[in-house]
Amino acid sequence: MVGTLQQGNIPVNFKAKKFLVWLFVVSSTIMFGGWTSYYLVFMASKGKGHGLVLPEVFSYSTVVLLVSSVCLFLAARALKGGDTSKHRMLLWGTFILGIVFAVMQFQGWTSLYQTGAVLVNNNAAISMIYIVSGFHLLHIVAGLAFVLSSLIGSYKNVSQEVAEYRQDITSIFWHFIDILWIYLYVFLLLNS
Amino acid sequence: MSTISLHDTHHDDHGHGHHHETFLTKYVFSQDHKMIAKQFLITGIIMAVIAMLLSILFRLQLAWPDKTFPLLETFLGKWAEGGRIRPDFFLALVTIHGTIMVFFVLTAGLSGTFSNLLIPLQVGARDMASPFMNMLSYWFFLVACIVMMSSFFVQTGPASGGWTIYPPLSAVPKAMPGSGLGMTLWLISMVIFVASSLIGSLNYVSTILNMRTKGMDLWKMPLTIWALFLTAILGILSFPVLVAGVVLLIFDRSFGTSFYLSDIVFGTEILPNEGGSPILWQHLFWFLGHPEVYIVIMPALGISSEIISVNSRKPIFGYHAMVYSLIGITVLSFIVWGHHMFVTGMNPLLGGVFMITTLIIAVPSAVKTFNYLATLWRGNIRFTPAMLFAIGLVSFFISGGLTGIFLGNASLDINLHDTYFVVAHFHLVMGSAAIFGMLAGVYHWFPKMFGRMMNPKLAYLHFWVTFICAYLVFFPLHFLGLDGVPRRYYAFTEFEFMNKWLTVNVFVTWSAIIAALAQVAFLFNFFYSIFRGKKATQNPWEANTLEWTTPVEHLHGNWPGEIPTVYRWPYDYSKPGADQDFILQTTPFSETMSSNLPHDFEGNEEAERIQREWEAANKPVQE
Repeated sequence: MVGTLQQGNIPVNFKAKKFLVWLFVVSSTIMFGGWTSYYLVFMASKGKGHGLVLPEVFSYSTVVLLVSSVCLFLAARALKGGDTSKHRMLLWGTFILGIVFAVMQFQGWTSLYQTGAVLVNNNAAISMIYIVSGFHLLHIVAGLAFVLSSLIGSYKNVSQEVAEYRQDITSIFWHFIDILWIYLYVFLLLNS
Repeated sequence: MSTISLHDTHHDDHGHGHHHETFLTKYVFSQDHKMIAKQFLITGIIMAVIAMLLSILFRLQLAWPDKTFPLLETFLGKWAEGGRIRPDFFLALVTIHGTIMVFFVLTAGLSGTFSNLLIPLQVGARDMASPFMNMLSYWFFLVACIVMMSSFFVQTGPASGGWTIYPPLSAVPKAMPGSGLGMTLWLISMVIFVASSLIGSLNYVSTILNMRTKGMDLWKMPLTIWALFLTAILGILSFPVLVAGVVLLIFDRSFGTSFYLSDIVFGTEILPNEGGSPILWQHLFWFLGHPEVYIVIMPALGISSEIISVNSRKPIFGYHAMVYSLIGITVLSFIVWGHHMFVTGMNPLLGGVFMITTLIIAVPSAVKTFNYLATLWRGNIRFTPAMLFAIGLVSFFISGGLTGIFLGNASLDINLHDTYFVVAHFHLVMGSAAIFGMLAGVYHWFPKMFGRMMNPKLAYLHFWVTFICAYLVFFPLHFLGLDGVPRRYYAFTEFEFMNKWLTVNVFVTWSAIIAALAQVAFLFNFFYSIFRGKKATQNPWEANTLEWTTPVEHLHGNWPGEIPTVYRWPYDYSKPGADQDFILQTTPFSETMSSNLPHDFEGNEEAERIQREWEAANKPVQE
């Protein structure tokens, strides 16, 4: 049952490693929870939120991110079905959509900036929009790295087990940052 | 176990081949959890010595505010001009002493060391879930230490707004010398530290939940593992909030936002920041800060549970109660942070809620205390050095815990807030207690770490001097606090009502110096024994847990053959009818027929039947 130790090889426990990503998701959620609770307490004590109409591009970027999640879901299905080329194509799709999302977030910040809602602001609620969307974008960058690692695995023809492991952690992380953005966007819409 | 066997069949795909260990991979960039534990421990000890020396420096100032010590100027230069510690350096000293002790010694040094050492060994795993991340965790920790210490080498000195770095002192770089570059370095160091701590905690939790050996269900885990597990969960749930707060603080400091700042005036200059609230920092900080004190004490509690049981040669009293009280403390620790903020103008109703949750923590804490005492009661006690330190922990936990009930009361806290009473309270209950837990762990698991024994005579000297001096240092401080003496004040000569406490301060400082000297006995013992200590046997304390089934010589992977299977809980000491007064967790019940009890079989009827048959066949002959 339990393997003996041969030649100093320590078997990799993928389940445990996957669980690490879940735990990271929890801690990251709590970090954003810290910011949104700052926002709520700030709003309750000052009687004001950011008071802006959020740039339209944020709603488009939300759609883009959702589509990228669907794309990644299909990629995972393709991998399980053994369709390598479809898997690759869908991973590239996710990657490109992720980049598009990032660009759109920059556009969103630009239009915020142009309306005068800048980061350095005497209304901390407006600064908070930049903080949460900025740190979310950092997560997107990390997510893109996960997608890339899956892609690299696919081109290097790693074993099915490793490929599925990489795909799994990519999926966990990417769907998480998708849901995280929806939460942040809806939060900012509701608490203006 | 399916996971291990599953991956074992595939491990050729991604095995690492032969381990060709070089000096660099074995001692420096090691991915072996046992080596990483040693790295954490030795770094922690070095940081503890530094923090202790800092405390001696400010104790000199407190005891003899008017005296000059030319030697200080030799070492500290402009910070002790004319042989007297400068006021701003005094503030830096207390700040960095607190920061190092809380985060670098009692979080990383304690949790980092014993989680890394004990989790794989006591749950029966070859290594952590991700050995690479484990290595990363140590190196982040070391970098954080170096960045923190580097602040002693900048012109304006280290951060000096207190270890809680409340804004505006921490948010406005020109507020005082210690708010400048020193503060920036503090923040950078802390971000790296949190990264280290989080990476570590993720690994600990994942390893405990996914990589236990066959038979090791949660209720067969030693209490050390339970404590380290819940500590890691606390870290995962609370440190991210500190990051959230620190990020906003960095933006306030360096980019001009107003998260925590409003209406600040310097002389005639009005700062542009408006609309923020420094109280919000306190909320975010203490949402981490309070669980943090349990991150500090819980591993120590777990370690002493194990050590007290082993050395009383008795099962731990109330194993389940011990676990549930740890869980209770974990949950409660998230809803008490407001008791640090009773004097911030908090709504009294909210203050009342925080007061009640705070006082409820006394219940699980008392459960633990009574269980320790009940375990000791009529035990066949072996006063090993580890045992003495574990009992010392219980003593500090009681004497420091009682004053927590005073401070938890909002109405009393308004008087006692920010006085020496608070200093006395937390130095006993989480400072001394946690340090004693850590030292107990070092004495107990030193043979496991280094394959040699520490000298017990030096250890007894170390214990008694430290134990007595810790009380002599911290007990008198309660009375200063009750008299209203505020903490962090530079010179007691400046205030009429504080003058009468000067003699007490002299006494406290001498006690602190003696306590510090006693640590030399430990340091010598520790480093000498690594190389020259008596060779250890495989199970020197005759303990039941899995780590003592591994060979004395370390190997990456821990067990040369199969990972042993676990059959019983870890506390079968002095079981009636058994041949020895300890039964290893790996001993199956079939080998201990004379001592098995009906509830050992957890309702397994087949096993119960076999046991009954054996008992019928081996009935003692009645005369």
